[in-house]
Amino acid sequence: MTALAFILATLAFALFGLSTDEHHRKRLGNRPDAVTVLRMRGGAWAAVVAAFPFAIAAQGWVFGPILWVALLMLGAGLVFLALNLIPAPAGRK
Amino acid sequence: MSDLGDKGFRQSQAFLHTWSGLLLGWVLFAVFAAGTIAYYREGLNRWMRPELARVEQPEKVLAGAQRFLEDKAPDAKSWFITMPGATAHGGTAFWVPQPKEGETRRRRRSDNQVTIGANGEPATVRETRGGEFFYRFHFDLYYMPVIYARWLVSIAALLMLVAILSGIVTHKKIFRDFFTLRRSKGQRSWLDGHNATAVLALPFHLMITYTGLVTLAVMLLPWATAVTFPKEGAFFEALYPEGPAVERTGRAAPLVDLTAIVRDAEAQLGGKAGYVEVVEPGDAAARVTVTRSGSTMLSSRTPHITYDGVTGKALRRSPETGAAVVTAGSMIGLHAGRYSSDWLRFLYFLCGVAGSVMVASGMVLWTVKRREKLPDPARPHFGFKLVERLNVAAIGGFPLGVAAMLWANRLLPVEMAGRAAWEVHCLFLAWGAALLLSVVRKPQPNWVALLGLTGVLLAALPVFNLFGTQRGLIASLWSGDMMMAGIDIALLMFGAAFLALARRVARHKPAAPRVRRRAAAPVQPVETAQMEPAE
Repeated sequence: MTALAFILATLAFALFGLSTDEHHRKRLGNRPDAVTVLRMRGGAWAAVVAAFPFAIAAQGWVFGPILWVALLMLGAGLVFLALNLIPAPAGRK
Repeated sequence: MSDLGDKGFRQSQAFLHTWSGLLLGWVLFAVFAAGTIAYYREGLNRWMRPELARVEQPEKVLAGAQRFLEDKAPDAKSWFITMPGATAHGGTAFWVPQPKEGETRRRRRSDNQVTIGANGEPATVRETRGGEFFYRFHFDLYYMPVIYARWLVSIAALLMLVAILSGIVTHKKIFRDFFTLRRSKGQRSWLDGHNATAVLALPFHLMITYTGLVTLAVMLLPWATAVTFPKEGAFFEALYPEGPAVERTGRAAPLVDLTAIVRDAEAQLGGKAGYVEVVEPGDAAARVTVTRSGSTMLSSRTPHITYDGVTGKALRRSPETGAAVVTAGSMIGLHAGRYSSDWLRFLYFLCGVAGSVMVASGMVLWTVKRREKLPDPARPHFGFKLVERLNVAAIGGFPLGVAAMLWANRLLPVEMAGRAAWEVHCLFLAWGAALLLSVVRKPQPNWVALLGLTGVLLAALPVFNLFGTQRGLIASLWSGDMMMAGIDIALLMFGAAFLALARRVARHKPAAPRVRRRAAAPVQPVETAQMEPAE
C-alpha cells in the first residue's frame, strides 16, 4: 500500500514537472500546447488525490495523512532532482 | 484588487519576507540545524558512547536496573528507569533519596544516575551529553537562562512563520517555477535553490514552525491558563494527573519483579513502555507507574498505569485525556517525530536539512542580491559587511562547532573532570573561533577555510571510528547495526558535501562586477576617472 501511494505521488509530480514548458521541451522534445498541459495537470492532481486512500490503508487515519504528505514531499523531491540532474537526451536541449 | 494595490501588497510582503528572515536568521539556522540533528538524538546517544553494546533484550536491562537500584538505593524516595528501546544506548536509572530535614531538594541528577548496559550490568561509559545536547540546545540554547533562550527561540520561530507565509505570498511564482533549477547562474541559482528547498518541504516547514510554537504556547500565551487555573500548580496537576501522594508506612516489603509489571502494562497500554517510576521502593506502600513510550503513538502525552509495588496489582489508569490535550500532544508529537519509523525519520531529517539549507541560502541571498547594487563593491557599507560576516560566522561556524564537538567526544580523556561540559565548550570554542575569523578576515577565504575544515573533520570521524573504536563502519554493517552505520555514512556524505561546497566557493570568481560594468557601460569612465587621482 505504501509503495502504491509512493508510486502515485511520484507519478503526480513527474506529470507536474513535465507539464512545465522547459522540462517538457527538454525531455519530450516539444513545447506542450495548452490542452496537453491541462491534461497533464489534471492527471497529476488525480494521482495526488488517488495516493491518499492508499496511505490511509497503509497506516490508518492517525499516521496515514502524515505518510501521504511525506510521500508527496519525497516524490516531489525525487522528481525535482531527476529532472534537473539527469542530463536530457542529446539534441533536445 | 487593482494592479497597483496588488503590487503594493506584494512589495510589502517582499519587504516583510526579507527582514523577518534576516533579523534572527542566524539564531534560526543554529536552531534548525540542531533540531535536525536531534531527530537522531537516540542514535547519537549511542554513537557518542561507542563503548556500549547494542541493546537486544530490553528486559535484561530493566532487570539489571532493578538489581542495581535495590542494591544501591533500597530506601530511596523514588526511582526512575528509562526503558531502553531498540535504538537507545541502554537504560538510564536514577534515584531521588529521601528528603532530609534542612537540605535543599535540588541535587545534581548525575550524582544519582547510572547507565545500565545491554548485559544488564552498570556500564562504565564516557561522560557525554550525547544527542541530548542537540535536543536541548534546539530550544534552550546554552550559556543563558532557559527562559530567555526560549523567548528568543520563540521569537525566531514567529519570524520564521512570518517569513514562510510572506514568502509564499511574495513569490507566487515559486509554485510555477517549482521544477526549475538553473545551475551556475549566480543570483538565479541561489534563488532557485532557496525556492526548491522551501517549496519541496513546504508542508514540513509550515508544520515544524507552527507546532514548534505550540510546544512553547503556554509560555508565550499564559493568559488562558492563568484564567482557567488561577492556583499555582493547578495547571500541571490537570495536565499530568497523579494519584494521591504515597505515604511511607515504614514496613519493609520486597518490590515485585518490574519486568512482569512492564509486560502487563505494555499489553494494557497497547504499546511499548517508555519509562518506569517507582515510589517508595522496598516499602509496603510502594507504587510502580509505567508510562507508554512516545515512540508508539502520535501524541506526546502518553497514558500510564499505576501498580501496587508489592502485590503487582493494577491500581489505576491515567484518565482519558481531553480534546485539547490530545491536540497539543499530537502537535508536539508531530514536531518531535518520536513516533516515526526509520524511513519516516529519515524523511524528517531530510526535510530538516532542506530547512537548514533554505535558511542559509536565504541569508546568503540577502548579500548576493545587494552586492550587485552596491555603489562600490570593494567597500560595502557597514550593514552589508555585518550581514556578510555574520553569515560566515553562523552558517560556516555552527557546522564546524558540531564537528569539533564530535571530535571532542572521541578525543577528550575519559577521566577528565566535567568532560560532558567540555565537549559542549569545544563546540562553542570552534564557533567562537569562526566568529573571530570572520571579524578579522575577508569573507571569501573564510568560507573556503570553514567549509573545508568542517568537511575534513566530519569525513575523518568515520575513519577514526574504524580504528579507534569497536564500532567502526565495517563492524556496524557486519553486525547489522544500521543506526551506527547510518550515522557514519551520513558523516562521510556531509563531509564530502562540505568539501564540495568549499571547492565551489574557492573556484568562484565574483562575476558580478564584470556583468555590472558591461550592463552599465557608460558608468565605466566615471569609475576610471575616480581612480585616476589615487594613482
